Amino acid sequence: MPDTYMVPEVLAAIGRECSRSTSFPISTSDIRKWALAVYWPETPPQAFIDAEYAPEDFDPFAWGPAKYESLLPEDDGSVIYRHGINQKALGIPEWEFMVGVNGGMDCKYGVRMHAGDVITDVKSVGQWSERQGKTGLMLMTRVVSVWTNQRGEEVKRTINTGISY
Amino acid sequence: MTSVGDSIHPYVVTTTVENWNRFAAINDEFIPHSMDDQAAISEGFPSAFGMGNIQWAYLHNMLRTFAGVNGTIMKLEIQFRRPNTKGQTLTAQGKITAVTDGVISLDIWTQDQEGNQLAHGSAVVRPSTWVPA
Amino acid sequence: MTVNVGDVIPTFVRETGFANWNRYAAVNDEFVPIHMDDAAGEAAGNGGAFGMGNLQWAYLHNMLRAFVGENGEILGMEVQFRSPNVKGQTLTAHGVVTGIEGDVISLEIWTDTQDGLKLAPGSATVRMGK
Repeated sequence: MPDTYMVPEVLAAIGRECSRSTSFPISTSDIRKWALAVYWPETPPQAFIDAEYAPEDFDPFAWGPAKYESLLPEDDGSVIYRHGINQKALGIPEWEFMVGVNGGMDCKYGVRMHAGDVITDVKSVGQWSERQGKTGLMLMTRVVSVWTNQRGEEVKRTINTGISY
Repeated sequence: MTSVGDSIHPYVVTTTVENWNRFAAINDEFIPHSMDDQAAISEGFPSAFGMGNIQWAYLHNMLRTFAGVNGTIMKLEIQFRRPNTKGQTLTAQGKITAVTDGVISLDIWTQDQEGNQLAHGSAVVRPSTWVPA
Repeated sequence: MTVNVGDVIPTFVRETGFANWNRYAAVNDEFVPIHMDDAAGEAAGNGGAFGMGNLQWAYLHNMLRAFVGENGEILGMEVQFRSPNVKGQTLTAHGVVTGIEGDVISLEIWTDTQDGLKLAPGSATVRMGK
């Protein structure tokens, strides 16, 4: 384990755009099934049964994108990074971690998602941080994910924090 | 591979809760004893075990490969005899029992890695590229 | 409906276990061993399988959505996942109004267990439906 994860390669990566994913068109069935799962065992609100719009937490990339491209010259895009970023292609040292967990999310919502919408997700590197934990030095990786719809309207902007130790 | 007594290409899969949960997802079949070791143990089984419907699906996968893209699975019946518990390597197998005018009858079954039959039955298919033996 | 700072909003409550988690894995393609298998969760040091942070995130949305009403909006939300949501816990999503600016309401939000253990604290901003 290094003394610090805040090495020049890590700091230089902040702000770099890593990937662009395009979803399949959202279907009414996608919306309905998502709502059924997150409200189970209760019946979801009728608006979701009718698929008037999608729950804010709905993810149209859940079962894979229609199109995926890496925006990093060092990455051929053959591996799809759904939640994270290709740290190797960013030149981040390949530290060996025992565990990776979801540390939290911070999300600002724009327009709602509806059936028929095609969502584009551009992921970039957010701020990094480190903290001493019970099992040693932990690395906090923040990935910024900006979703827009087919009209270019912003659907949401999320910062996801991954914790590795 | 179209003579009586021939074995057809098996379909092999190591089965865990991951397979079963994915199947539950598409079939809305979230049964405690297929998801949770504790639930299955309380029912007298050694671990969580898979749904019969997914063995049924694996047998179809095997027959579909045998019959070819334009082939037809005409009939299938099986009986479930033993539970498909967590971590078993399940093999779907078939042996030809009759060949009549392009229609092939088979003895079909699934078994674990120790050769114990889990499900047994029969099927009738019409392969797309049947050539008389 | 009049909303005041300090108001406690209606909670969203679920007893959590494989039935919830596997349904969520089904829609989110999140079939991760630590969320499906006690043996895998135990090997990861959590005493058994535990639920996805994303599902707590969804439950907090469900609570806020019921609060803002049909035409309301969830404008933003942030949470930190501090403790695992293990099998059999009764998880409650809570919210308390902390600020009102025009038609935008800020809330402190969190999930906790039946023993009051806070799992995921955070905050949210919403706009009430007309």
